[in-house]
Amino acid sequence: MKFTSSKNSLLEGILTVQKAVTGKTTLPILEGILINCKNNELTLTATDLDLGIETKIDCTVISNGAVVLNSRLFGEIIRKLPDMDIEIEVDSTYNTTIVCGKSKFNLIGQNPDEYPELPVINENVMYRIPQDLLRNMIRQVIFAVAQDETRPILTGVLFEVKDGILSMVALDAYRLALRSSNIGSKNDISAVIPGKTLSEVSKILLTSDDEVSITFTPNHILFTIGDTRVISRLLEGEYMNYRQIIPEEYKMRVKANTRALQESIERASLMANEGKTNLIKMDIKAGIMAITSNSQLGNVYEEVPIELEGDDIEIAFNSKYFLDVLKIIDCEEVYLELSSSVSPCIIKTVDEDGYVYLILPVRLIAH
Amino acid sequence: MGKVIFLVDMNAFFISCETARNPELKGRPAAVAGDPKDRAGIVLTANYEARKYKVKTTMTIREAKQLCPEIVFVPPDREYYRYISGEVMKILSGYSPIIQQNSIDEAWLDMTGCDIAFGKPFEAAEKIMNDMINKLDMMCSIGISENKFLAKMASDMKKPLGITEVWQGDVKDKIWPLPVGAMYGIGKRTEKKLSDIAIHTIGDIAKSDRNLLIKTFGKYGEELYDLAYGIDNSPVDENPLRNSKSISRSTTLPNDIIDLEYAKRIVLELAEEVGAEARRSGYSGRTVSIAIKYNDFKSITRQKAISPTYLTKEIYETGCELLKKNWNLSRPVRLLGIGLGDLQKGLAKQVSFFDLSGKYDAKEEKIERVMDKIRQKYGDDKIKRAKTIHLHKS
Repeated sequence: MKFTSSKNSLLEGILTVQKAVTGKTTLPILEGILINCKNNELTLTATDLDLGIETKIDCTVISNGAVVLNSRLFGEIIRKLPDMDIEIEVDSTYNTTIVCGKSKFNLIGQNPDEYPELPVINENVMYRIPQDLLRNMIRQVIFAVAQDETRPILTGVLFEVKDGILSMVALDAYRLALRSSNIGSKNDISAVIPGKTLSEVSKILLTSDDEVSITFTPNHILFTIGDTRVISRLLEGEYMNYRQIIPEEYKMRVKANTRALQESIERASLMANEGKTNLIKMDIKAGIMAITSNSQLGNVYEEVPIELEGDDIEIAFNSKYFLDVLKIIDCEEVYLELSSSVSPCIIKTVDEDGYVYLILPVRLIAH
Repeated sequence: MGKVIFLVDMNAFFISCETARNPELKGRPAAVAGDPKDRAGIVLTANYEARKYKVKTTMTIREAKQLCPEIVFVPPDREYYRYISGEVMKILSGYSPIIQQNSIDEAWLDMTGCDIAFGKPFEAAEKIMNDMINKLDMMCSIGISENKFLAKMASDMKKPLGITEVWQGDVKDKIWPLPVGAMYGIGKRTEKKLSDIAIHTIGDIAKSDRNLLIKTFGKYGEELYDLAYGIDNSPVDENPLRNSKSISRSTTLPNDIIDLEYAKRIVLELAEEVGAEARRSGYSGRTVSIAIKYNDFKSITRQKAISPTYLTKEIYETGCELLKKNWNLSRPVRLLGIGLGDLQKGLAKQVSFFDLSGKYDAKEEKIERVMDKIRQKYGDDKIKRAKTIHLHKS
């Protein structure tokens, strides 16, 4: 096997597939990247068995063949080579020679036959979504997936299409993020995609209107993004009935400036780092929301101007959950919909209705 | 340079607070007592005039009236006492920056090196005492020593308006003759256990076999022995729980056991103490741990994260769960312990989708708070959960 490629396109390909290389594996071959020259095409592949990424690289194939090279080392070598054409040649015992300018590396490779094959999926495209839209939708829900494995299904994001509307939902035990958008598709589906897959996919997606194609099989999802294919196992099991969790009515509604609210909470949370609760209290009255927090470090009092419909209310939250959402809201103003100090707080943007965020409060037990 | 520690104890605190705002009570026998209309109400604090008639704390109102017909009863106003307590602490903080409040009416002060400002320890104590009289119209007793234990013992020696110094060298004469029940930190249970091994005075403890004490009480035995010699290295700490990561209790069992139900009752008793301390200090914890020591002296500790709590019931239930999961019943157990860790001030529960009420057992909390109050008024052994009643018989 022998090919030449520019440094940049090779490096770009390596960085793309590296996202599927796991740090910890019991199968040493998975620390490698499969490099395959066939039919005048060069394909890089990496997988951790749950998530697989393959990408095609623009290059000149001189002879066919394949090899597995250690991902980290191969990546570092290519990154540090000068910005010139790189020639790579692999002999029958997988010894690999990398030549670039005045540099020459000999790298010991592994037998490509030992590398696990990615699941074969017939590209029977079900959805085409602008990359920028999908990227934003992922960004706006991904932070709410459960980090612990107590309920494995919640480490994923629900991908639901119904009546032409795509809804993506993430929730852990304490909050929920829902983003919907009309993608005008007639195919209905409900599947749960691992959070890790989506977070890697969003890094590959471009901020452009180019479309990403999505194909589902009963157990897998395939994203086709330009020359890159991302194949992931789906999570098995029933997702929570999220619609049931979101209250339809509210008793009070607060309108606040997103950044002002965010900055006040950020300051208040400086005092709230006792334990892991990040506890802040909001005392909401007509015109003013007072945010307080106290710990053994001291205390803080913040005021945020607001518009309030409904009665005064006092409610406490883990500030982290609030900040996570305020950070990704681009809209200038937000609504907070509340009912009581122990019921969910719904956050919505003022100008857009495709986004619903729900936070459960912290119940303060007073004596 | 040796340490100088004061224990300032406000005399007959509740009734003195009442007298301070109502001078009519001055010079007359009076007491703060739970609901005077209820004849079964009890005396919380009697003033020194009433004490002359042998009126004592925990007596019923009827009994007190029989001893002293002209006694005046005042219902308790804890909020006001807390306020005065705060005023007391303010005055004390003018004498030393290092203060540890031990209860509503007493506090330790680290006065080491304060002689430059306030004179000899005895003179400084006089200044504090006069301040209390002039500013709050309240009396106090002050114990002076080189550590917290001796200062506390000293303050108990002369009341009211006593200033007593007990230094290390005085231990043999002033401390050893006292009965063990007078030793700070010794409860009824320890007193009983000590008398079982023929130890009746503090001097008996000092002269006893250290190893026997350790065998009987574990690590606490070692502490008892040291205290009997007036040795106490604990610092005056503004917030003793602040730096400690857990509240825990353990006990060495009278016999090695392989009975899970019996072990659970022991765990309940220990959880009760842990819960009571957490509730009293206003902390809740998010980890429950158990310690098991087998009869071959191998020991294990296991823990579990839970929703924050200070409730005995929740601590106990988690403890039992851990016990069941981790104790191989074929191995006899010698010691059991339970702890509440990952402490935080107050109780705040994150509501979750899987528990939309923010799981909180309001009824249990009421029960436990009432039990705490009863124990505080009448003594720890006056109310028990039925499960633990038979624990110490046989």
